[in-house]
Amino acid sequence: MGMTVRPGRIAVHIALILYTILALGPILLILINAFKTRRAIFADPLGFPDGQSFTTIGFDRVFANSDFGLYFLNSLTVTVVSLVLIVLIGAMAAWALTEYRFPGNTLIGLYLAIGIMVPIRLGSVSILRMMVELNLVNTLTALILVYVAQGLPLAILILGEFIQQVPKDLRDAARCDGVSEYRIFASIILPLIRPAIATVAVFTMVPVWNDLWFPLILAPGDGKQTITLGVQQFIGQYVTDWNAVLASLTLAIAPVLVLYLLSSRYLVRGLTAGAVK
Amino acid sequence: MADVSLQGVGKSFGAVEILRDINLFVRDGEFVVFVGPSGCGKSTLLRIIAGLETVSGGEIRIGDRRVNELPPADRKIAMVFQSYALYPHMTVYKNMAFGLKFVKTNKAEVDRRVRQAAEILKLSGLLDRKPRELSGGQRQRVAIGRAIVRNPSVFLFDEPLSNLDAALRVNTRLEIAKLHRDLGATMIYVTHDQVEAMTLASKIVVLNQGRIEQVGAPLELYRYPRNLFVAGFIGSPRMNFIKGQVLKMDGVSATIGFAGAKADIEAIPGSLKPGDPVTVGIRPEHMEETGAEAAPLRGAIEAVEQLGESSYVYMKLASGDDVIVRAPGETDAAPGGSYTAHVPSRALHVFDAFGVSVLPNHP
Amino acid sequence: MTDLTASSAQSMAVAPSRSRFPVHIAVFLAPALAIYTLFSIYPLVDTIRLSLYAGDETGARSFVGLQNFQTLLTDPNWSGHFWNAFRNNLIFFSIHMVVQNGIGLGLAMLLSLPRLAGGSIYRTLIFLPTMLSVVVIGFIWQLILNPLWGIAPSLLKAVGLGSLFGPWLGQESTALLTVSLISVWQFVGIPMMLIYAALLNIPDDLLDAATVDGAGPFSVFWFVRLPLILPTLGVVSILTFVANFNAFDLIYAVKGALAGPNFSTDILGTFFYRTFFGFQLQVGSPTMGAAVATAMLVIILIGVLIYLFGVQRRLQRHTF
Repeated sequence: MGMTVRPGRIAVHIALILYTILALGPILLILINAFKTRRAIFADPLGFPDGQSFTTIGFDRVFANSDFGLYFLNSLTVTVVSLVLIVLIGAMAAWALTEYRFPGNTLIGLYLAIGIMVPIRLGSVSILRMMVELNLVNTLTALILVYVAQGLPLAILILGEFIQQVPKDLRDAARCDGVSEYRIFASIILPLIRPAIATVAVFTMVPVWNDLWFPLILAPGDGKQTITLGVQQFIGQYVTDWNAVLASLTLAIAPVLVLYLLSSRYLVRGLTAGAVK
Repeated sequence: MADVSLQGVGKSFGAVEILRDINLFVRDGEFVVFVGPSGCGKSTLLRIIAGLETVSGGEIRIGDRRVNELPPADRKIAMVFQSYALYPHMTVYKNMAFGLKFVKTNKAEVDRRVRQAAEILKLSGLLDRKPRELSGGQRQRVAIGRAIVRNPSVFLFDEPLSNLDAALRVNTRLEIAKLHRDLGATMIYVTHDQVEAMTLASKIVVLNQGRIEQVGAPLELYRYPRNLFVAGFIGSPRMNFIKGQVLKMDGVSATIGFAGAKADIEAIPGSLKPGDPVTVGIRPEHMEETGAEAAPLRGAIEAVEQLGESSYVYMKLASGDDVIVRAPGETDAAPGGSYTAHVPSRALHVFDAFGVSVLPNHP
Repeated sequence: MTDLTASSAQSMAVAPSRSRFPVHIAVFLAPALAIYTLFSIYPLVDTIRLSLYAGDETGARSFVGLQNFQTLLTDPNWSGHFWNAFRNNLIFFSIHMVVQNGIGLGLAMLLSLPRLAGGSIYRTLIFLPTMLSVVVIGFIWQLILNPLWGIAPSLLKAVGLGSLFGPWLGQESTALLTVSLISVWQFVGIPMMLIYAALLNIPDDLLDAATVDGAGPFSVFWFVRLPLILPTLGVVSILTFVANFNAFDLIYAVKGALAGPNFSTDILGTFFYRTFFGFQLQVGSPTMGAAVATAMLVIILIGVLIYLFGVQRRLQRHTF
């Protein structure tokens, strides 16, 4: 292209730039003010921290008074383990549903579809009771179990679509060679659906990482908080300490921000791929 | 109806030049076909005339109006797409009436025009159907009907028959030809199929790599191709090309030696010197099995294809060149046997080292 | 003869055996079905069952049928809050439908313009807030809107709208609207992406044909693109509905479980939380909590059913 820009286009870019500023502005404000002294925060909220106003005092206080490292680890553990289980178990179920025809196939599919539309939170009363009986209250395991149950239906749907695109010839050839069904699944299917995992990850990891409800209900105890719950509790406690508050918010944002910007291509592709389904 | 004129038109996408220095005049009522291999720029040229692409240079005039800056809607053109591009959520009637929405036509007039076009294209019974309920040929006719309804100055067709099967292609081709006769409209048609070009066009524009190679009536291009490219593109099976050399040059007469044979031709004065390498072209259908005056080409038969109405004999000449001969009807020739094809001088095409024809007799 | 039987025996060995019980199918399906049933379906069913019981201080439970629901809907101690939460949830949903999906549609349209420079950068950046935790977003906006800090009022003053500013989050009349808009701000990315994908799906030829037919950009949108993305708009609507009637995190983070001021930001999610766990003076009641959850389930199911049978049937998904 590189030709004369039509005036209409300029207006489009102005609109998009304005909205991008609106979308990013609040986040940037937090990030730059987290590194400023309290006076600078109030005196010059929109300015960048300079030699005089730069400080990390907020962060020091956060690390001193709360266990952010632990919260981060908890979130990481829950999210990663949930994702691995969802993909593994989901792939197996998706394989069974798309590959084999057996009575009840469609019924099971519909059964799973319920989970996509109906929010699992509504069963929290019973979930908590179950966890109490199983002695799993205040454990990460409880969170993992719940998140896996929550993420399975959508994951199975998405993985099913990808599995259907694997050419039948590959599987039939393996069967002709006398390979067992389990090995077919493991060696042929799993590597081929790597791109599908990106899509599943988008729909699964973000809600799990950011969730407040289940950590609040099932694992609010000391040492088991996720980062989302940790931030919420910390801010509730230190609400007048602006430095600490801003620092804790920054710490909560940073890992997601970094991960997102690094992998945005995959995420966006995964989201639009899943959306078309 | 209107003339279309292109002067010095060029188009680049960034650093890539798609079209260069296109000069063309289409008279009102002509059926012009842009033909050429994939990537030659013919579709881009059509889209430029439509206004769907901007030009990087040059001027386009439709009906004696400069239209460079005008959007498609204001150019009084209509376009038929290769994929038909019918609106899937509208009925056939609404598809055809869509364009009139923007020209402030009252309902009675819209109805009249749609039904009239439907009548011409035999779509009257399908007006309430949606595109997905129609066959490929019917969809194509709706696309044409949509164009007719708008009463444009110029009709633009972008490879409209490519998605149809062979039999349907022939039928629709005839319908388009009839449409042109009935409406008398200016039509510009893009295709990669030279058979479509030869049968539909009153004038063919051969494009190659963004340049116009030659413009002329179908038979003119057939009889007097101006260069190697046009000679090889028009006519099926393709013209035979054999390397040769100028043996003698005498004013306007030249003697060319090729594949062990000799022939005398009339050439443009000064175009050849003795010793110049040339390419000799003979169409398969112009080879003769016998002929006293014709130069003989001897060789072995590699394959024979019998189609009943004609036969194709694939020869390897003693000189090493491969040659196809089209013999009328059936033949006794068989692979492995020897064969002699005779080449009458009047059927010879000769091209110089740059691939340009040296024959004087093109109008 | 022997050849035939030999080859047919071989072909039987090739296909997955049907005559014996296909153990492998069960093995593949079991873990998913087990976890899903145990932690998703069973709790839901059990919650519904629990809602039909009432408990007292000793912990004993007795079957009371639909009495809990009667209480919920009509008892002055409960119904006021329930209907308030329900109404607020409807307002919450309406604001999302209009503002979130409207802006999402607009952004998607702009982003799907042909040859838009920097399109993927815009998409990535605008989608960023959706990636962040609702809790974090809630606090960020609390800080920005805080009159003490003064960012919001000074920015508004710069644009000449300084007089508009007020303690929006703290005022009963504006709190729900403000919280809704914060949520909209965060989640615009989702309808934007979904509608963008649907717009990309429309073949360029169709848009060219409309342009040649005489349609200007707005007409191309209104007559061609919009009708063809209606199914996606339907999906976006039902997703918004389910998400909004399940919402909790933002309100809890910004306003706490009491959803003040004066319950003006109370929606069904926070009402459910309070009912189940209790808060300050109110004692938690699992049975009433279960009743609220069941009521929410019914509301969501009604919405989903209306969508599946009323909306989705009508909207044709066009394949190209």
